[in-house]
Amino acid sequence: MNLIRAAFLFTCYFCSTLCLAQLHGPGRVPAGTGATLQAAGSGSSILYIYGPGGAAKRTVQRGAINLPGEELQVAGRYIAIIDGNSVSFFVTPASLQNISFVARPSRVPAAAKGAVQGSAFLFDAFQNLYLPTTKVSFRLGTQGSAGEDRTVSSNQGVAWVQLDSGRRGGPADFAVYSEGASVRRIVQQVAADPCGIHMKALPASDGNILVETDPILDCAGNAVPDGTIVTFTSIDASGRSTVDARIKRGFASAELPSAPVATLLVAAGVVQGNEIHWGGVR
Amino acid sequence: MNKILPAVLIVLAAALVAAATIRSSALAPATTPEGAVQSLLGHVKNHDAPAAYRYVAKQSNTPFPDFLRDVFGQDSNLRTYSSLQVFNTRVLHEDDREASVRASLQWASAVGAVYDTRDMKVVREDTGWKVIWPVAVQPKVPPQVIPVNYLRWDIVTRGSDDDWGAQNVDAPRVRIISMNPVEKDGNFILLGEIENEDTVPGFVSVQATLIGKDGESIAQEESFDKISHILLPKEVSPFRIDFPNMSRDRVQSVHLQPNAMLVAASADPVIGVLHQALQKDSSGHAVLVGELLNQSGQTVNIPHVLATFYDNAGKVIWVSDGYVDQSLAPQTPVAFSIGVRDDLAAQVHTYRVTVNQYSRDRIQ
Amino acid sequence: MIPKSVSAPVRAIPLLAILLVALAVHGPLLLMQLPANSYDANTHIFFAGHYANHWFSPWNEKWFGGMSQTTYPPLTHQWIALFSHTFGLTGAYMVVQLIVILLLPVGMYRYALLWIPEREASYAALGTVFLGSLAMLVYQSGQLPTTTAAALTLNALPYFYSWTRDGRGMQLLKGVAISMAGAAAHHVTFLFGAILFALPVLWLSVLDRKLSGRGSSVVGVLVRAVVFGAAILGAAILVLLPYFMSLRQNPISQLPIPHGSRDNYILSPHSGINFWIIPMGALILAIPYILFRGSAERRLRPLLFGWYLTTLLGLGGTTPVGRVLLGRAYEVLTFERFTFWATLMAMPIVGLLAKELVDRWGRRGILLLGVSAVYSCAMAVAWVVFNPINSGDFRVQPVIDFLNREDHAKYRYITLGFGNQFAKVSTYANAGSLDGDYNSARLLPELTAYGAGQLYNSKYYGTAGMESLRAILKHADQYGLRYIFVRDRYYEPLLAFAGWRQAEIYDNGATSLWTKDDVPPAKHIDFGNVVPPAWQGVMWGIVPVSASLLALIVVLIPNRRRSINTINFPASQETTEISLREAQ
Repeated sequence: MNLIRAAFLFTCYFCSTLCLAQLHGPGRVPAGTGATLQAAGSGSSILYIYGPGGAAKRTVQRGAINLPGEELQVAGRYIAIIDGNSVSFFVTPASLQNISFVARPSRVPAAAKGAVQGSAFLFDAFQNLYLPTTKVSFRLGTQGSAGEDRTVSSNQGVAWVQLDSGRRGGPADFAVYSEGASVRRIVQQVAADPCGIHMKALPASDGNILVETDPILDCAGNAVPDGTIVTFTSIDASGRSTVDARIKRGFASAELPSAPVATLLVAAGVVQGNEIHWGGVR
Repeated sequence: MNKILPAVLIVLAAALVAAATIRSSALAPATTPEGAVQSLLGHVKNHDAPAAYRYVAKQSNTPFPDFLRDVFGQDSNLRTYSSLQVFNTRVLHEDDREASVRASLQWASAVGAVYDTRDMKVVREDTGWKVIWPVAVQPKVPPQVIPVNYLRWDIVTRGSDDDWGAQNVDAPRVRIISMNPVEKDGNFILLGEIENEDTVPGFVSVQATLIGKDGESIAQEESFDKISHILLPKEVSPFRIDFPNMSRDRVQSVHLQPNAMLVAASADPVIGVLHQALQKDSSGHAVLVGELLNQSGQTVNIPHVLATFYDNAGKVIWVSDGYVDQSLAPQTPVAFSIGVRDDLAAQVHTYRVTVNQYSRDRIQ
Repeated sequence: MIPKSVSAPVRAIPLLAILLVALAVHGPLLLMQLPANSYDANTHIFFAGHYANHWFSPWNEKWFGGMSQTTYPPLTHQWIALFSHTFGLTGAYMVVQLIVILLLPVGMYRYALLWIPEREASYAALGTVFLGSLAMLVYQSGQLPTTTAAALTLNALPYFYSWTRDGRGMQLLKGVAISMAGAAAHHVTFLFGAILFALPVLWLSVLDRKLSGRGSSVVGVLVRAVVFGAAILGAAILVLLPYFMSLRQNPISQLPIPHGSRDNYILSPHSGINFWIIPMGALILAIPYILFRGSAERRLRPLLFGWYLTTLLGLGGTTPVGRVLLGRAYEVLTFERFTFWATLMAMPIVGLLAKELVDRWGRRGILLLGVSAVYSCAMAVAWVVFNPINSGDFRVQPVIDFLNREDHAKYRYITLGFGNQFAKVSTYANAGSLDGDYNSARLLPELTAYGAGQLYNSKYYGTAGMESLRAILKHADQYGLRYIFVRDRYYEPLLAFAGWRQAEIYDNGATSLWTKDDVPPAKHIDFGNVVPPAWQGVMWGIVPVSASLLALIVVLIPNRRRSINTINFPASQETTEISLREAQ
């Protein structure tokens, strides 16, 4: 008895799927714009939609079934199922709306070759990676300088560039533009290693030797930032004296112990400055 | 039995207690120069300053407060964090009126064991042998205002709710500018220097991994306190990494990993290192001596001296360090002395001293 | 002779009344959780916390980077763990401690009956409730296992006496069962205390052998003692097998750690007060009586000698006795427990003294005894309160919260200057620590090679402590040690020079967190074959607690024949009382 009932039900189901539930999808549709499915027959049925952003189930009337844009915001392959019939369609990214811009490093020495890197990730309004190839422009420039522009084509939603840092210190605008979207980052262009450190020595009021540098600049002429260590060394008959002075307002100074004859040295990091023979022949 | 047994037990207990307790009076006058030094140091060890002071000779001209300050410290200097743990004495010279005694002292301190050797002159006074304990008179700095307007770097980092692509501040760029592996007393030691090449301060450390002949890691150590951890822009610090009980033969290669982190920091204090010179100490060992001068306005509680020694080719041949047990009051020179390997002293062509510091009220 | 106008008690105090007094005295103190700040309470709670969550797992990663729970007898911890599901861990500790305190006068009553008549024994049992040494162990030292084992030992001794004297098998079974539970509670008491207690009792058995209906010989008594010893040794090996295997694999070879109880109490008066004057309390006044009365009576002499030796051992470094008799063990043991045992041994003779005072001076005698008893107990409790052993009960919850949030438990931590609050942190924090509170469980060479104790107390161990701390900090990267909580600024210079940075502060700056940001997450430390296998965990989870249940069951089995013998007790010759003594 049960077997007969099962065979009957299977036959009904088979006929209904053959006769009633033909289903057609839109093929490709931009994200967030909505789509229409065509389901043959009439009456209500259950619609299932599986997509990369989730799954939905609701009762629909057969015929033209509207899928609202809110349900199709995530790009990718969707499958719609009604009464055992399924159709797949693709939701493509919408127009380019946002750029995620990773700029490295946050600080860069001035006039450094290929030191600045920027990577742009293109997205539509629904955070779908914008895959079509498109022109992306990068611009790195400091105030008052021409800066450097570079335009590249995106590949699979990503574009990147490697630029030289400018010769001028200070905050540099690093911007990316594409199809009306833009993002701006700041890259701090800082002075590179000091260049040509020069000091002078004077007798201090208390008898010690006052040593003071000229303004300390890098080779591009940028002032080395305050707080940078400058080491003054005095070598005399009593031994060696060193003071790790900090650059303050552009130059560094220190008092070294008095000595009738001494050799005075200055250095910042691994960069040596001039040498003074105090009390002797210069 | 009724009375004998309790009496025996009481006497026995008294004898046992006496056997473990009775010693010569701790405050008896010293009958020998070495005894005087031992008594004085014994009381220092027991933190009994008045009793120790009884063994200080009158001709020291050392008032008790100065003695107290010298032995037990002040201004949160390293001596205030120390207690005398072990001492050994040896008579160097002795006659009827005076003697010279060398004391080797081991202090337990907040930074570990600190070793010190002190030659003491001992004189005979009416009340027995006494130790001459001179205390350097601290020059008084006149009241004044010292303007300190050095830089301070503070950091604002990316917020946790920012976009993942949003910019953050990068760690400072640091570079190891020299490295030299040496073997000493069965230990493998890495010496070198690290520079902060950036324009912001960095908190640095250096980690080393030894790779054995089979390509496997055989040991891992780090610079620990043999480095200045906070490096201001363009500052160079020596580092030393010790691998105890490690033969050089076992090492195929070394992997050095400098770690740097952006931290809030201040550019002060500035500590000058004056009158550095290589000398021999009273024991005949090579030492690097000099004076530290705090050019800022706040007391530096614990200075830590790091010395880098170079040969005539400019190669780092040794890095030694030492904690100074006196604090650095503003504008007041304080002497320091750190050991140099005797076997390397002749090869030392030049040296560089840097000062690391701990200031109790200025933890960054 | 009691004056007619005074009605002094002439009968024994009922045991129930004594238990009610014990409950009245110690119940409120335990409800106040006074022992929670003792030296070791948090340690025992920590062990119990592990059993509460992982009953059959003998490996605990929360201390020392990994330690075996089988390095400490588990009985009390497991009982706390069982009760903790109802009372919480701290409450369960108090419950178990209260049970032990109630068990102690019961044991003393039964033990004292071996030496003295019933009435005096009841005085001894009552006096035990007020012992200063007990209060110190409970409220200052937090030595729950020691007090547990002592209580069980006292309860086992009458069976030992009865077995060696009369040779009845049931007594052997009961004695061994209780001793086995005692061994599962505390191994040191089992190894040292039980011997100190048992030898006088054995001597008494020899003296009393003629009282036995069987007329035992000296050899017979000694043989039965050997049998008893062998039986409890075997039982102890069975119940503590994982402990002994762990000990064999990893012998305690670390350098001696200083302890105040090993001081010379005369040269170190504070240690003297803490480890002898306060624990002895008013018993000091009874010492002459103990000596004279113990010497005068033949049956009391074994007790006198036992008490005398134990007292000398309890004096620590004040006499050379401990060092000579115990050898290397002297540097490992602490001696406050010996004073506790000495006071317990003294109680039967003190019971005699109490009886004499009551008989001679009636209510004045009772008043004197009452004041002395209350003074002993109150002084000990007051000493603990007015001489706190640590920096106080500060809030450790922010520290626990920090360690339990986000991914902080991926790293290890230590505390500095936390005192015994460290154990509390480690009980409730998910993160593991490289420090720990039970020195014998340490395996890391940085901890065992220097002769220092806990890292959180490094500075008190001088050079050894600070060098041990340095060694651990040097290997912070290998061990994943990222967080250090500091409540003592003494440690800040080392941390600052070693590359740690202050990150957070708690408790208005009294506690600070120091971090080392380049430390990788902690990895499992490979200790080789010292990790106990699973079967040991199963055995450890079943046998000890079963031993205690077995002890309970066999003790409840009634004796087939209660022998009540009238003893010609020497003390009774001076009075007209009939002294009854129960020998079980």
